[in-house]
Amino acid sequence: MPAESNRREFLKRAGLLAFAAPGAAAALDACAAVATSAKRSTIRVGWAIEPDTMNPLTTYSTQAVEVLQLVYDNLIHYDLHLKPEPGLAKSWSYSADGKTITYKLRSAKWHDGQPFSSADAKFTFEVIKSKQVSQYAQWVTDLTAAEAPDATTLVLRFSRPQAFNPGLAVPILPRHIWQSMSASQIQRFPNSVPVGTGPYKFVNWKKGQSIEIARNDGWWGTRPAAQKITWILFQNEDVMAQSLRTGAVDICPEIPPTIWDGLSGAQNIKTVSLQSFSFHHIGINVSKNPNSGGNPLLKDRAIRLALSYAVDRKQLVDIALAGHGLPGSVILPAGFGAWHLDIPADKQFNANPAKAKALLDAAGYTQKNGSAVRTSRDGKPLSFRLIAIQSTSVDVAAAQIFRDACAKVGIELTLTTLDANSLGATVYNAKAPNWDIFVWGWDSGVYDPDYMLGVPLCNQIGSNNDVYYCDPHYDQLYNEQATELDHARRLALVQEAQQFYYDAAAYIIMWYQAKLQGYRTDTWTGWTPVTGGMILNFTRDNYLKVRPV
Amino acid sequence: MSRLRYLVRKTVWLAVTLYFVITFNFVLFHLLPGNPVRLLARSGHLTPQAVADITRVYGLNHPPPVQYLIYLRDLLHGQLGISYTYREPVSRLLGQYLGNTILLLAAATVLTIVLGVLTGVIAANRRGGGYDSATVTASVIGWSLPTFWTGLILAFLLGVWLHAFPIFGMETPNAVYTSQFQRIEDIGAHLFLPTLTLVIVNIAQFVLVARASVIEVLAEDFMLTATAKGLLPRRILWRHAVRNAMLPVVTASALLISLVVGGAIEVETVFSWPGMGLLVYNSVLNRDYPVIEAAFLVFAIVVLLVNFASDLLYQALDPRVREA
Repeated sequence: MPAESNRREFLKRAGLLAFAAPGAAAALDACAAVATSAKRSTIRVGWAIEPDTMNPLTTYSTQAVEVLQLVYDNLIHYDLHLKPEPGLAKSWSYSADGKTITYKLRSAKWHDGQPFSSADAKFTFEVIKSKQVSQYAQWVTDLTAAEAPDATTLVLRFSRPQAFNPGLAVPILPRHIWQSMSASQIQRFPNSVPVGTGPYKFVNWKKGQSIEIARNDGWWGTRPAAQKITWILFQNEDVMAQSLRTGAVDICPEIPPTIWDGLSGAQNIKTVSLQSFSFHHIGINVSKNPNSGGNPLLKDRAIRLALSYAVDRKQLVDIALAGHGLPGSVILPAGFGAWHLDIPADKQFNANPAKAKALLDAAGYTQKNGSAVRTSRDGKPLSFRLIAIQSTSVDVAAAQIFRDACAKVGIELTLTTLDANSLGATVYNAKAPNWDIFVWGWDSGVYDPDYMLGVPLCNQIGSNNDVYYCDPHYDQLYNEQATELDHARRLALVQEAQQFYYDAAAYIIMWYQAKLQGYRTDTWTGWTPVTGGMILNFTRDNYLKVRPV
Repeated sequence: MSRLRYLVRKTVWLAVTLYFVITFNFVLFHLLPGNPVRLLARSGHLTPQAVADITRVYGLNHPPPVQYLIYLRDLLHGQLGISYTYREPVSRLLGQYLGNTILLLAAATVLTIVLGVLTGVIAANRRGGGYDSATVTASVIGWSLPTFWTGLILAFLLGVWLHAFPIFGMETPNAVYTSQFQRIEDIGAHLFLPTLTLVIVNIAQFVLVARASVIEVLAEDFMLTATAKGLLPRRILWRHAVRNAMLPVVTASALLISLVVGGAIEVETVFSWPGMGLLVYNSVLNRDYPVIEAAFLVFAIVVLLVNFASDLLYQALDPRVREA
C-alpha cells in the first residue's frame, strides 16, 4: 500500500472492491488511515534474495552480511572510498616484523546494555579459530594468539606477517552470549535476535517478507539520520522495479539489466551503474588427478589458448550482458583499481580466431578429410562437454556464444545446463572431477586481492579451486603477496601472480559485470557512488550518511 | 456398523499411504544430485575436519539407510529436524510460511467455489440465455489465462496504475497499527490481488461443473414430479436440483485444494507472498532436505485429508455411496 493514502485513492479502492465484492468496501474504510511510519524516517531497500541466517559465524549470504554489518561493529570498517576507518578500534598498529597487530579499542555498549571490552574481541577471534565453523576462519589461519592486556587493548599475534588486516572482516561478538556454545551448537544457532554494538538494533525478520532494524541511539559514532532501515523481499524483479517507481521502496541494490534499462529516465529515480568485484569465467578442467574424468586433451595449453583466442570478450559483454560490464582478462576485476593488472589488448588471448587456428595447426590438431572437428595426431577429436547454470541466463547466453565461436575454429562443444547446486557438485567432486568446461562466476568476499588470488591455490583443491589448477610457483607468489606489508612490493607481486595465472589459460575470464542500482531522489539524498555498489558492498557508510530530502 | 468399518478401512489406507509418501519423499530427495554439505561448508577455507564436523552435526555422515531410520524415529517424536539454510527448527519455519499460504488459499478457494457454483447454477437455470453464454465465456477465458501473466496485469492495472491495491507482500512494511483491526484490514488489502488472480484463473471449472451437473439433474424425472407437486421454482432449483448436483462439485473442490496447497507458487511469486511456494522453491535450490521433506509431508497430509473428507462428504450427500 502506498505510504500516503489519501481520500481519492481510498475511493478508488473502495469503488473497485464494491465492484468485486459488494459489502466488503466498508470494511476497508480505515485502510486509508493505516499509519505507515513516515517515509523520511525509514530507508526502504528492495531486493530479491533472502538472507540465510542472522548467525554471523555461519552465514554465507551477502544479504545477511548486509544486515549484520549494521548490527555488529568490526574493529575496522571501510569508508566511502573503501579506505579503512576506525570501528570498535580507534587505532591500530603493526609490529616491526608485521606479525603482531595491536588494536586500541573504544568504549561501547552491547545492545542489551552490557559493556563491551577487549575480552569480547579476544573471544571473537578465538572462537573463530578454535571452532572452525565460520567463513571468517580463513582470516585467522596464521593466528597464534589473541591477547587482551587491558580492557581497551587487543593484540593479535600471527605466525606470518598479515598483508590483510582481519579486523576489517570479522564482526565482533558479545562473549556473554556466545561463550558457552560448542561448535555444533553454533552451527544450529539461528541467532534470532542478534545483539551487537553497531549503529542499528535488530528489530525483526519476517521470513519471506522483510527485515527491520532500528537506530541505536547509544551508538558510539555520529548518529545516522534514518531511524529505521527495512529490507523488503520481492520474489519478482519486475514488481520490485515497479515498487521503486511507485515509491514503495527507496533503493534497489541489484537490478537485472533489462529492467534497469527500463528504469532510466523514470520520474524521481536515478539509476547508477558501478564497477563490481565480480567476474564470470569459463573454467577448464586441468586436474592432474588420475581419477579425473576430464578430457586429457585440455591439459594441452595450446588447446586452452585456442579456446581463449576463439571468443570475443566484447561480444560476450554486448550480447550476454546487454553491454553492462567490462570485457574480462585477469582474475582480479577492474573494480580493484590499481591491483587489477591491465594487459594491453594485443597481448591478450582474445578475439583472434586466426591465431587460434594457427596454434591448433602448429600443435598438430587438424581437420582431416574435411571434417568440421579437428582431431589430434592420434585421432582424438577436439570435442568437449560444456556445462552452465540453467537459471543464470547471462551464463547460458555466454556459453552459446562461446560454443559457436569455438565451432568456427574446429572445436566442438556440447552444452548442457544444470541447476546451480548440481553444477557445483559436479565441478567440486574433487575425488573424480568428471567434466571438461564450465561457466560460472566469482564474487570477492573482501575488498582485498587476497580472496580471489587464493582461489587457484594447490591447497584449495577440494575447496574453492574450481579448475584443479596447481602450480608451486603460483602458490609461492600468492604467499609472498599475502605476507608483504610494503604496498609497492605487494602490488608488484599481485600483478605478477595475475599474469602468471592468465598465461596458464585455465580460466577464460569473460567479463567484469557492472552492479546496476537505482534509488529515488525524492526521499533520501546523499547516496554516494562507490565501486562495488552504494549499498550491498563492503562499506555500510551510505546507510549512515544519507539525509532525508 | 458398516459405516464404522468404512471409516476404519479408510483410516488404515490413510496411514499406509502416508508411510509410503514419507519413504518416497526421503528417497526422492536424497537421490537428487548435489550435496548439502558443500552448501553448508561453502567457505573453501574450512579445514576438512571442520567439514566433517558439519557433516556430523546434520547426521549426513551416516549411510542413507541409517539416515532414513533416524528420520523416521525423529518424525515419530514430532521432530522435523533443523533447516540447513536457516539453521532453525523446521517446525518453526513451516509454521510461519504455512499460515500465510493457508490464509491466501482459504480466501481464494472459498471465493472460487462459492462464486463459481452460484454462477454455474444460475447459468444452468437460464440455459441458452445471455447470462449463460456471458458467464461461461468469461470463465473459460479466465481459465485459459496464464496465472503469472494475469497476476502481473492485475498488479499493473490495479496496483501501479490506479494505486488501488498493494502489489507485494502481506503487510505494509514498517506499518504502525493503532489497532489489531487495522492490521487485519492491511492484510486484507494485500490479499486482494493474489486472491482475485486465483479466482479468475480457477473459477471456470466450478462454473462449468456446477452448470453441467445442474442441467443434467434438471432433466431428471423427479424434477418434473417436483414441479407437478407445485413447489416453488426457486425451491426446486436450490433444494432439489443443486443438492443432487453437488457430487461433482465436491470432487472438483478436493482436486482444487490438492492442487493449490503446494503454495500457489506463481501467484506467490508475482505478489511476493511469503508462502509455502517460496519456501519450497528456495529449499529445493539449497538442497535443504529437512525443509523439503517436511513441506511435502504437509502437502501429502493435506491431500490425503481432503480426499478423506470428500469421501465422507459423498456419504453425507449420496446414500448410494453409503450402501456401496
